[in-house]
Amino acid sequence: MASPSGHLNDGHIHPISSLIREANDIFFDMGFAFAEGPLVEDEKHNFDMLNVPKDHPARDMQDTFFIKDEPGMVLRTHTSPVQVRYMEGQIKKGIAPPYRIIVPGKVFRNEATDMTHEAEFFQIEGLAVGEDITLANLRGTISEFLKKLFKGSVEVRFRPSFFPFTEPSVEVDMRLTGDDVPEKLRGRWIEMMGAGMVHPNVLENAGVDSKKYRGFAFGIGLDRVALLRWGIDDIRLMHSADLRFINQF
Amino acid sequence: MQKYFDAELPPTQEVSDALTFHAFEIDGVENINGDDVLDVKVTPNRGHDCLSHRGIAKELSAILAIPLTSDPLKYLPDLSKKTDAVSVAIQSSLCSRYIAAYVRGVKVGPSPSWLRERLEAVGQRSINNVVDATNFVMFNIGQPLHAFDAGKLLAKDKKYRIQIRPARQGEIMTALDEKNYELAESMLVIGDENADEAIGIAGVKGGMPAAITEATNDIIIESANFDGIATRKTAAALKLRTDASIRFEQVISPELAAYGMRGVVDLLLKIAGGELIGFADEYPTPQEKKTAQVSLAQVNSILGTNLGEKEIMNALERLGLPFKRGGEMFTVSVPFERLDISIPEDLAEEVARIVGLDTVPATALSPLTTKPEINERFAAAEHARERLMRLGYSEIFTSVFADKGERTVLNKVDGVRPYLRDSLLPGLEAALAKNKPNKELLGLKEIKLFEIGSIWKDGEETILLGTISEKEKVKEIILETMTADHYAEMPLSTAQRYTPFSKYPFIVRDVAFWAPPPTDADDILSVIQDCAGGLVVKIELFDRFEKNDKVSLAYRLIFQSFDRTLTDEEANVAMEKVYVELRSKGFEIR
Repeated sequence: MASPSGHLNDGHIHPISSLIREANDIFFDMGFAFAEGPLVEDEKHNFDMLNVPKDHPARDMQDTFFIKDEPGMVLRTHTSPVQVRYMEGQIKKGIAPPYRIIVPGKVFRNEATDMTHEAEFFQIEGLAVGEDITLANLRGTISEFLKKLFKGSVEVRFRPSFFPFTEPSVEVDMRLTGDDVPEKLRGRWIEMMGAGMVHPNVLENAGVDSKKYRGFAFGIGLDRVALLRWGIDDIRLMHSADLRFINQF
Repeated sequence: MQKYFDAELPPTQEVSDALTFHAFEIDGVENINGDDVLDVKVTPNRGHDCLSHRGIAKELSAILAIPLTSDPLKYLPDLSKKTDAVSVAIQSSLCSRYIAAYVRGVKVGPSPSWLRERLEAVGQRSINNVVDATNFVMFNIGQPLHAFDAGKLLAKDKKYRIQIRPARQGEIMTALDEKNYELAESMLVIGDENADEAIGIAGVKGGMPAAITEATNDIIIESANFDGIATRKTAAALKLRTDASIRFEQVISPELAAYGMRGVVDLLLKIAGGELIGFADEYPTPQEKKTAQVSLAQVNSILGTNLGEKEIMNALERLGLPFKRGGEMFTVSVPFERLDISIPEDLAEEVARIVGLDTVPATALSPLTTKPEINERFAAAEHARERLMRLGYSEIFTSVFADKGERTVLNKVDGVRPYLRDSLLPGLEAALAKNKPNKELLGLKEIKLFEIGSIWKDGEETILLGTISEKEKVKEIILETMTADHYAEMPLSTAQRYTPFSKYPFIVRDVAFWAPPPTDADDILSVIQDCAGGLVVKIELFDRFEKNDKVSLAYRLIFQSFDRTLTDEEANVAMEKVYVELRSKGFEIR
């Protein structure tokens, strides 16, 4: 159980922190800044401004924690509200696109927990907005990220999907090849994330001219990436605070 | 599905792949009575038109480029035969259309076997020919339908009067599931106006007062359109989600009601006999015809592709989206059921699905002229991580849910720890206590932990840095930002694979002895390892000193099993083997 630095008495950082550090390194080189936002979020940013109207069936897609005696406040169900917060902030400061951010952080789903489901887990959001952003850029960016993260040759494929805040929307699968890839993952298509072109309504809601600018966005479950990358068998280990787990990283 | 096509469909796996890569995820394939039944996960944007077999057939037709034998939504249905025997009064804006058909002299009985089999294939129980006909047409084209026993309604001056009205607060109706539902003013009911009685919960469930039975002769069929949000709220409040309410919740076109009505009447006359007296159709504000536009350049600049006009035209034709061309612009007359299509991006997505998302290349973003901003809080967090790691602290994440705090989660599924934490300290203390017993297993002299995480206190969400160790008191401070013009290079985890650990207790044994030179501590360790057997999970040299040419070595062995709690006896047996081996090598056990 040597620590990364090789110093025997060193502690260990959490595998999620290591992944976030690595993701930030990779995306920084592609021009993405690190952005963040509150965990207790208003429904306006978590849903409405992301083109998920009240009482729309799309809200059923996510089981939401509401805050008692604070109508309209929720534990954010995804990192996407930071898309809107970031763009609003830039527009307010008079800074026009291009924007490129990643948003690593904790999100919440009100569901029963088991080996593959947690009520609190980590996501990394990506957003690129500019005059020339295309779905092909999404594919290029995601491919580059996954290739570096999994250190193998990576194929990426899209499947059609739906998210209210992107149009077109896609599911992204990856397939790893190469001898370095763990046998369990090698040659198998694995569902990695939801993504798409930012819906013009989302840009407009944040004050960005959707006639002039387009964007792509994606959201990756980091716990799932950790599970795949290191062969971790139970997502609940992430919040176990058990050094028998953490000190392996 | 084959019934929708003249051409033979490809094998199930190909059909499944076609939908997966061009339309919807397939949740599963089940073989029912020799037929493969695909469970298609229709996305919420396509609930308007694809919660129906016709909708899926239409998708397959577009994807596989094979025409539908006949599209049930192709020709405007004939509802021209009117009747005065039934009147319809819509008394709420939550109902945009209500068509009633009056059919006399039906013979209620079992359905023909083809109908029973097709309903069973989609998990429906056959009830009788009238009810089955309404269900069949609903699954076919997506329009919920209902049949009332006209004989149980009150006729005044030989006329039935159907009303669609808000329920009265506290009004109680017995539904077809024989349960009583207490209704509220926000809910809509179908009423027998002559009798002043509710006979159905609009868009959700029919009522017992007008239930179809073997004795039914005359029926009134409903094909209507109800507001999505209101139906959703009603179904949720009554905890009564039905095949009908699921479809109305997704919002369907009021135009569809006419197709549903004609479809069910034609089927009924065939399998239950009777005579169609006529229709009564209330449709105050017909749905407007819609167009959507996209240009060739737009499609390519959204997708990053290099598609030509021909490919776009081909995709639109296969999708059954009629269009006109004006220069580069395609103007699509949106079919009434496709309520999801309005902006250029919608059409770009349609084209992309049909030409195939694999035609979208992977293109790098163009480089920016400026470097990304440094996030000062992340820089500070990274700095703290590095500093603490060097001091022997390991990083934990604990739950934000706590036993106390000033803010509370309203609806936690498991009900436990509903508060949002106002401090990191309880989590750190619990983690310290949890890890202490494993110290020897971990090979640590002291457990030292830190967490960087959010807390909620004094109305604020704050990110704190908390630390705890066995020697130092637990403490937490605000994670201050730090100015930086770059991120310092920091090590990543070098772990290759995670090794699961045993959840059973472990046993520690020490052995110390004098070893004559030459002494190689590593060699001796492997000798001990070989003797001690498979239950040893860890061996370490924890002490060494020299005296009078002799070296004293002390090793610590940890025994643990993956499948049971070890006994002392098992450890003793293993240690005895170690002692014997060491003595045989001439070492003097201390």
